[in-house]
Amino acid sequence: MSKFTAAEIRRQVERFLPKVLKPSRYLGSEWNAIKKDWAKTEVHMAFAFPDVYEVGMSHLGTRILYHLVNSFPEFLCERVFAPWVDMEETMREKGIPLYALESFQPLQAFDVVGFTLQYEMSFTNILNMLDLAGIPLRSAERGIADPWIIAGGPCAFNPEPLVGFIDFFLLGESEEQLPEVLRLIAEQKLNPLPRRDFLVRVAQVQGVYVPDFYHVSYKPDGRIEGIKAEAGVPAVVEKAIVQDLDQAFFPTNPVVPYLEIVHDRMMLEVMRGCSRGCRFCQAGMIYRPVRERSQETLLKQAEDLVRSSGDYSCIQPVIESILEKHGEEGVGVSLPSLRVDSFDVDLAESVQKTRKSGLTFAPEAGSQRLRDVINKGVTEQNLMEAVETAFKKGWSTIKLYFMVGLPTETQEDIDGIVDLAKKVANVGTKLGRRNITVTISTSFFVPKAHTPFQWEPQEAKASVDLKQRYLREKLRDRRFKYNYHDVKTSYLEAVFAKGDRRLAPLLEWAVKHGARFDGWSEQFREDVWMDAFKEFGIDPHFYANRAMDYDDILPWEHLESGVTKQFLVSEHHRALQEAKTIDCRHDECSGCGICPGRGVQIELKG
Amino acid sequence: MRLRIAYTKVEDARYIAHLDLTRVFERAVRRAGIAMSYTEGFNPRPKISFGFALAVGTEGEREYVDIDIQRELDLGEVLGRIQEQLPPGIRLLQGRALTQGAKPLMAVLNAASYRIRILMALPILPERLQEAIRLWLAREHVTYLRYTKKGPTDKDIRPWVKRLEGEVHGDEIIFELEVEMGNAGSVRPEEVLASLRELENLPLDMEELHVKRTGVHVSYQGENSSPYEQLSEQ
Repeated sequence: MSKFTAAEIRRQVERFLPKVLKPSRYLGSEWNAIKKDWAKTEVHMAFAFPDVYEVGMSHLGTRILYHLVNSFPEFLCERVFAPWVDMEETMREKGIPLYALESFQPLQAFDVVGFTLQYEMSFTNILNMLDLAGIPLRSAERGIADPWIIAGGPCAFNPEPLVGFIDFFLLGESEEQLPEVLRLIAEQKLNPLPRRDFLVRVAQVQGVYVPDFYHVSYKPDGRIEGIKAEAGVPAVVEKAIVQDLDQAFFPTNPVVPYLEIVHDRMMLEVMRGCSRGCRFCQAGMIYRPVRERSQETLLKQAEDLVRSSGDYSCIQPVIESILEKHGEEGVGVSLPSLRVDSFDVDLAESVQKTRKSGLTFAPEAGSQRLRDVINKGVTEQNLMEAVETAFKKGWSTIKLYFMVGLPTETQEDIDGIVDLAKKVANVGTKLGRRNITVTISTSFFVPKAHTPFQWEPQEAKASVDLKQRYLREKLRDRRFKYNYHDVKTSYLEAVFAKGDRRLAPLLEWAVKHGARFDGWSEQFREDVWMDAFKEFGIDPHFYANRAMDYDDILPWEHLESGVTKQFLVSEHHRALQEAKTIDCRHDECSGCGICPGRGVQIELKG
Repeated sequence: MRLRIAYTKVEDARYIAHLDLTRVFERAVRRAGIAMSYTEGFNPRPKISFGFALAVGTEGEREYVDIDIQRELDLGEVLGRIQEQLPPGIRLLQGRALTQGAKPLMAVLNAASYRIRILMALPILPERLQEAIRLWLAREHVTYLRYTKKGPTDKDIRPWVKRLEGEVHGDEIIFELEVEMGNAGSVRPEEVLASLRELENLPLDMEELHVKRTGVHVSYQGENSSPYEQLSEQ
């Protein structure tokens, strides 16, 4: 047990807090923060976001679950984020354990610590946070006095590199599942069962994956031979789904940070899920089916939020009503990046009344052929029309997002990016607009689990690097600004996105040797990672650059998003045939498999 | 209606950075349902202005803020409604409506007083303490090495110090310090104590000090007054 009490941690931290960067990251006294009585609550949960405060507090899921758990009188939920490197250094120097913001209680004192897995590059921060909390990293080394370490979020759909550290994972939507798990933990505190028996019990909850019960064997060539579930737990773990999104919990008294966070605004979740079917997109597969919230619900939530997108079928009336009602109070609305084919200039104008800074479009690929391969149903004509109206209406900056290294990509597709950028800029020049800027950003395609491209290899680092250099040369024009993503981190991301549990010891080693905040380019330590692969004799290409067979057993074979493997295979075939698959919202069912037998269906409110 | 409000910035609120303080007040006023006045232009900002920034981590017992609101409202009610929406540690002490043409805080405030509690690294006799303070104050110039973005520079900090007193209380010393502040700069309380420690050889534990700004003033011909008193003379 930690020798530090909450009061002692607070006293010590206050002494050096003025000396660290952004000290208000480390306080839990913001407006609407919830401070509950430890003695009057049955289960104490720390919700852990493995990145800095400003990133974590911008994440809607974190906000939803924090307020959801606290909405139960018997549960307490506090927040903890990864301390920035300066804070970590001071805490280690003084031997202060990681604490939760609201009470300053050390993480060790909680019954459960729940990590959210938003991106693979935060895995090292999870282990580092446990280490900073003085909690043994390995489940096997933890005792009854230690909290349960659990994790959920999109990366829980392939959490294998974290197996051994996390007691169990929560797949899918947690609004109903997490309280159920906490109720079991409450019972466990009252009448403790042996660890194993408890885990069997919790494994019965929809979407709960206890990796200890699943045994993986390997072929001599390194591929997986089989994944075998023990008796008493589901052979395949299937995600949890919220039955009625419209009535699902949504916090209208969110925490209001002191400091400026990445997305410094109130958020409304107008819909969940997307059936556009972009073949690279994991979110588009694992959050199905599409469910929208009703206008009445959203307006009520907006109203409450004030006192304290792009695809949504009722977006226009909702935004108009919000602005009509609250516009005079200086309330503005902003939307995430827009789709070219559903882009509506009036909508963009109504949300950007004050500043016409920039509009972002994501064609993702430079040629129509490649856009058909990835099933991004956007045409050049869509884009040009949208851009023309935008320039006419006074916008001067257009941002275009592309991916490089997509399956089947050729030099023509790369040249297509240059052409498209030029055409966009020429639209502005032809309209007599000066000082326009077209920002082109490219990222490096990372194949993700549970998508039609999950069998695809990532393109070699060196060749993508060449392509990005080529683009840098070709986009030398004062009208262009070219940003590109570092290939080294995207490569490691691919290793972990397609990784299996044999990577777990390597991850631990990298953390012990200083890897953390891998998503922050200035913190990324490529040398440590390359040493780690050497140390364990693991070839990163095996994970990132190997084309897998449909017959191969995938590391996430026993985890189910509801979208069937047949559908993913057929989508992969169609990709290679450059055939589009139409959104089931507007056309017939594409047979992805999510709706039948789960009591859910597409819900459109427009 | 322009309001001048005196408030505390203590407890957790002392860690709120000066740049974030505008946002904290803006959001509180908004939640209170009071319409603020905004600046014109592409990026309207609420008309909220402060006096000299308080260093992060330093408590302020009486700080001031000016806020422009759109309508004439009952002062007591406005203060009450805003107070309900402020985070812990920010307590509104007093408020007054400004007359037209009243100068902004930054234009009138020019002095601040601090109370500093510091642990003695070795016992210091009261006489020894008084002697050290007397000697330090008697210096015409006090050079202090300050690390700025451009590198280390020597600064004469003596001209800024108007008053320095100290008293031994158990194992710590409580200093009362008054400094001038202006657009040309000022001196930080930590700098005065570090200089005292070094030049007069006083064993002070610089790691164990607690600084509180007890007030900010309008200083004129040796007399301190509050930015409210200035108002009534106009």
